[in-house]
Amino acid sequence: MDALVIRADGFGKRYGKRQAVSDVSLAVRKGELFGLIGPDGAGKSSLMKAVAGVLRYDSGTLEVFGTDMARDAAAESVKARIGLMPQGLGQNLYGDLSVEENVDFFAKLRLVPDAQARARKEKLLGVTRLADFRARPMKQLSGGMKQKLGLVCTLIHAPELIVLDEPTTGVDPVSRRDFWQILAELVAEQGLSALVSTAYMDEASRFARMALMHEGRVLAQGQPHEILALRAGSVVSCVPQEQVRARAALAANYAQVEALGPCLRVFVPGLAREAAESAVARLVDAAGSATAYDSGEAELEDVFVALLAGSLAPTDAGEAAAVPAAPGKASPAIEAISLARRFGDFVAVSDVSFTVREGEIFGLLGANGAGKTTAIKMLTGILPPSSGGGRIAGVDIARVKSRIGYMSQAFSLYLDLTVSENIRLYAGLYGLSRAERAARLDWVLEMAGLQTLADTLAAELPMGQRQRLALGCALVHRPRVLFLDEPTSGVDPVGRRAFWDVLFKLSRVDGVALLVTTHYMSEAEHCDHLALMFAGRIVADATPQAMKVALEHDLGALYEISGEKALAFAPVLAAAGLGGVSVHGRSLHVLCRDGARLAALASEHGGVRVRARVLTMEDVFVERVRALEKEAGR
Amino acid sequence: MNALSLWCLQLKVMFGKELRQLGRDRVLLAFIVYAFTVDIFLAASGVSLQLKLASTYVEDVDHSSASRELASRFLPPYFQLQGELASERAADAALSSGRAMLVLTVPAGFGEDLARGEPTHVQLQVDTSNAVLGFLAASYAEQIVARFGLETVDAGKTPLPVIENRTRVWFNPNQEDSWFMGISELLNVITIFSVLLPAAAAVREKERGTIEQLLVSPLTPLQILLPKVLSMTLVILAGTALALFGVLRPCFGVPMAGSVPAFFALTALYVFTSAGFGLLAATVARNLAQAGMLTILILAPMLFLSGAWTPPEAMPEWLAVFTHFSPLYYFINISFGLLLKGQTVAALWPSVLGMMALGMAAFAAGLLRFRRQFG
Repeated sequence: MDALVIRADGFGKRYGKRQAVSDVSLAVRKGELFGLIGPDGAGKSSLMKAVAGVLRYDSGTLEVFGTDMARDAAAESVKARIGLMPQGLGQNLYGDLSVEENVDFFAKLRLVPDAQARARKEKLLGVTRLADFRARPMKQLSGGMKQKLGLVCTLIHAPELIVLDEPTTGVDPVSRRDFWQILAELVAEQGLSALVSTAYMDEASRFARMALMHEGRVLAQGQPHEILALRAGSVVSCVPQEQVRARAALAANYAQVEALGPCLRVFVPGLAREAAESAVARLVDAAGSATAYDSGEAELEDVFVALLAGSLAPTDAGEAAAVPAAPGKASPAIEAISLARRFGDFVAVSDVSFTVREGEIFGLLGANGAGKTTAIKMLTGILPPSSGGGRIAGVDIARVKSRIGYMSQAFSLYLDLTVSENIRLYAGLYGLSRAERAARLDWVLEMAGLQTLADTLAAELPMGQRQRLALGCALVHRPRVLFLDEPTSGVDPVGRRAFWDVLFKLSRVDGVALLVTTHYMSEAEHCDHLALMFAGRIVADATPQAMKVALEHDLGALYEISGEKALAFAPVLAAAGLGGVSVHGRSLHVLCRDGARLAALASEHGGVRVRARVLTMEDVFVERVRALEKEAGR
Repeated sequence: MNALSLWCLQLKVMFGKELRQLGRDRVLLAFIVYAFTVDIFLAASGVSLQLKLASTYVEDVDHSSASRELASRFLPPYFQLQGELASERAADAALSSGRAMLVLTVPAGFGEDLARGEPTHVQLQVDTSNAVLGFLAASYAEQIVARFGLETVDAGKTPLPVIENRTRVWFNPNQEDSWFMGISELLNVITIFSVLLPAAAAVREKERGTIEQLLVSPLTPLQILLPKVLSMTLVILAGTALALFGVLRPCFGVPMAGSVPAFFALTALYVFTSAGFGLLAATVARNLAQAGMLTILILAPMLFLSGAWTPPEAMPEWLAVFTHFSPLYYFINISFGLLLKGQTVAALWPSVLGMMALGMAAFAAGLLRFRRQFG
């Protein structure tokens, strides 16, 4: 057993009346990348601050390096061995100082001898590829670069334990992968221990061990395979002919049914792959037929959702049945025709064209600054295009305001108004008649599940309910077209799935056209069609499936390499010329066109298992954007 | 629903929203109530520019009946005799320690000189750290000494012709500072809130991101800004009524000589137009803190140049010109005209026009910037 770096036992913290963390027990071993996973408000930050010795706690014990953190003097003595990077992009850095000045400042602050500081700085700036930007002021860095600089400043005094609070929140997927890669290298190379939190479920696989937190408690902890074993099961996906009916039939039996574009994805607990597949097939066949059955082992997120929800109540998203979705044949609801927008010399959007049909969920992907928000502002009539144009339901975009619904980032509700006051406000703004206003108020309350909370201030709602209220406000005037700008940030996975169920019903049953902009790749999986934006242009426009197939064709399939000697296998792969290896906890992910060769290498090396993995949209996005960046850099 | 009734419905809904939001902000509400009641009460009762009970000491070296007679004329309400000082050094100490504001030194032989009808001297030392009070103390004391001199001379000889000055005090017959200070403070408070409240209401939407939600709804920029300004105007008028009828009239007897409805109508116009400055600030600021600092920046010259503290005639000539660019300058003329002098609106037209011109320009600029930023 390795030495323990952090040991918490019955740890608790309250703010006034609110119990932020209660009865948390966990242990982090030396040299381990330990993850705290949970939605906003789960208590991650409180725990991490206490570990770093900057927050007092109320109950239980907390030992760091064997020192009791309850006593201030003792906590002070271990602080030199800890590095803390607080939440927020560049929050602990100075915007007006350059990259180098920031690092120097932290070195001086930590009293690192000059010679050591210089050597460490060069090494860290090299590893993080920030060396070329050393003279640039921090505030002009991108989100990902800010976080890398934050990491450098956290590491400059060579701490033995680093505490990183949501280092990847608000960072685009490419930079996120980069960050994890660098972190994994540093942890492995310097024997660091790291306590890292994240709100992204799909980052769970990056950790050697993890704890899943929810509402101040730890729901599960351990290695990935231990957590998977808590809710063993399989995932089956298929493409049914009548998606709405098939979904209803499955939802009646299984708690976790997701609609991903034309597919349905079901988590079947307790059954192995073949048994699960046939169980699903029986239900789907009763509601029409389906093709393209596929199955696999459950992912961490499936298990998390199962643990979070206890058992998620079957939703009634498909209840109203009938209307089969046929996005391909429906009439166009959103048309962008060579949209372009310049700000001075800067071209924010150039020559963007696409069509969204009625009942279709369309995803607009891209990193920060790719032009998504500018495009959506032009389509919603807030910003006049420099050239080109568009139509919403056949009407020019200059005159569409009363026909569209719009849900902006961060659910812009009036927090000081109650739930029903918010709804009435928007009903009034869209000029609904008195009778209609009352009817729509009831509809929104029911849709969002807020009937009992009508007189509660919006500020008092948890994020998931706020999000559904914001959606309700955007839908109050029955728009045929709905724009959603990064609609699920900060919402826990259960709330997120419930939200997508509502969107599914809107598109499939009510025939509303949805345009979603996002840089959360897990959301992209839900879309029928995707457009990828890069530097103001659309560089790919296809279904998620087609994009994955294209990537597989270009770069190969995705394999996971696990087992005791997995990490030692990385240099072997590099020597064999198989690039694109990334570290996920104790296993490796690699894109490879020649599966047979990989298998041969693995059996030669020994002690590793190779298993094919399904490509995610994140894989597609990251690879495509990297290729484009390389091209643009040339 | 036709276009006009839709427009009105949207305006009504937004108006209600603004009032509700303000009603939920307990801290801001408390601040408003405080400013329109306690603050004005304190300004009216506490701040005084009159000389009252100035602490006076006498260093009487002469010890004659004449010297005692002179000293005894330093009476309340202006002066308060505190006692005698034995030496010059004691006089210095009393002045520098702040115990004495005035020290009257009567030299030896004062009484005898007077009796002989020869010119003589007394010394008056005044602490003028506070320039206004010091000036008042010195001139009152001078008057007392001069009158004493005249009377002493009169007693012996035939009377000289004397010009008698009979003063009539208009508009504030008892020369109550509380009227001037109370009304000035009310006007200041109105000015501060008429800039601050709309700025805060507008920038809060920006901060929360709700502004985007409003922009995609079928509202014009005017429909977004107008309800804010209207609701804040209503609140400020309510505050003004509270200050006038709850504080200034019952506690200090401010007369309200002119038309009260006219005063409220013109206050509404003033608040509405000054809001333009607040909206301008809101288009520049990114958050509430910045908006707060910007409004201070806007308010400071508005208040200094208004003539509330210094009449324009007393300013350097180049600066006095700028008073015409402070809407408060006109509003002060109007308010004192209506509340104290009992003037009619007809007589105040030039001020009303000046105020409207400035305010409309500011409002238009605010709207234009908002439209350019979000249009």
